[in-house]
Amino acid sequence: MNPRSVLHNRPRTVGLDGQNEVWAALRGVDDPEYPGVSIVDLGLVEDVRVEGGRVDVDLVPTFSGCPALAMIAADVRAAIGVLDTVDDIEVRFVHSPVWTPERIAPSAREAIAEHFTVAVTTIGRPTPCPRCGAAALVEESMFGPVRCRSIHRCRSCGERIEVIR
Amino acid sequence: MAEFEAFLDAGGIVEPVDDMPDEYRDQVFRFIELHANSELMGGLTERDWIPKAPGLRRKMAVLAKTQDEIGHAHLLYMVAADLAVKSRTEMLEDLFANRGRFHNVFHYQAVTWADQVAIAYLVDAGALISQQAVFKNCSYGPYKRILRRIVAEEGFHMRHGEEMLLVFAEGSTIQRELFQAALDRWWWPTLHMFGPPSRPDDALLRWHIKSERNEDLRDKFVQKYATLLTGYGFVPPDPELRRDPETGRWTTGEIDWAPLKATLENLGPDSARRVGDAARHWADTRWVREALEAVAERPAA
Repeated sequence: MNPRSVLHNRPRTVGLDGQNEVWAALRGVDDPEYPGVSIVDLGLVEDVRVEGGRVDVDLVPTFSGCPALAMIAADVRAAIGVLDTVDDIEVRFVHSPVWTPERIAPSAREAIAEHFTVAVTTIGRPTPCPRCGAAALVEESMFGPVRCRSIHRCRSCGERIEVIR
Repeated sequence: MAEFEAFLDAGGIVEPVDDMPDEYRDQVFRFIELHANSELMGGLTERDWIPKAPGLRRKMAVLAKTQDEIGHAHLLYMVAADLAVKSRTEMLEDLFANRGRFHNVFHYQAVTWADQVAIAYLVDAGALISQQAVFKNCSYGPYKRILRRIVAEEGFHMRHGEEMLLVFAEGSTIQRELFQAALDRWWWPTLHMFGPPSRPDDALLRWHIKSERNEDLRDKFVQKYATLLTGYGFVPPDPELRRDPETGRWTTGEIDWAPLKATLENLGPDSARRVGDAARHWADTRWVREALEAVAERPAA
């Protein structure tokens, strides 16, 4: 696991008031597929730059061609647009770095497991079942309802589990 | 059974490993099978619109919706099969042999792109209202947990529907006429989708598989969408649709249930073509399933 990827979830250059405000606003933007879980905690926000009234936000898509991108960008613009000091917003999707499940914050992993019964792939050790905690998931289908999730079955509790990969 | 019903009334959640009365198992199974079949038939219909959707963004949205629905069907068939009433293959074979049931709205043809917009705006909204009500209080654990995700994803489809509707509502006269014509086709089937008024002895309600009566869910839909549609200047095709000036509540004209009954027997206007197409896809892709099985059976090199 790349320790830098965890750092991407936090503002990299703190100190500018405007930047903190923008990050706070972004924490209020939920992912359309996980209501209640913020795009910041999912590791979608790569960088925020504030210069005067101009804000640049770089987002990392979980999958290229993710159908939610336009909606997320619109939600980001709406959330930042209400800040007094902002008069120009540029939202970009960057393709480097590549999004990986390690970018998801631990609190968001827990929320996704608890509210959506969805697991997040952990590299280097077996992914635990979000329902019973057993490391007993067997992949049944590479493809689930969305491209970023596969379908598994828990051999311990029998639940059909989707895993973010 | 009395003990089981008391358990359900107290908010008990049933898991596949638990003992449950056969009648309950059967009702839950049939409910999930109907949902799975409907997701599959809906996904196949949606897929037909991928090449026809206007513009890359809409194509991506239709593509994603197709994957979503096929994925939901996939999950739901697994959960239904876990109840050990029918296998996944038996459910699919019944569906393709015209012995299966799926929601009435997939027994009609979508004529123009405006129909797809009407489906995304009205049918998806209706489905979401029903699914939210089931999710809130469903006594069968695996289904309740899958619905949590389906509801989140349907909410996302609905936002696409709203966005597409605005294009038509704020569009040219031709666009507005196209949507009105689509509304004329889809208004009543959407009201039918909630089902006929629930009987007082409805087992689905008694066993907390569903938590609200069909007519109450339909009313929720009418109150919201009659307001929105008329607000955009569209007219639902019901000359008796009225809004009480004092309470602000809408009442519809009498609902003709004959079209719903026809779809329940797979005798809707587009049923034969839909089932035929689905059966043909199933036959055409047999070699893929056989190849996958052959690979799975082959000893590791």
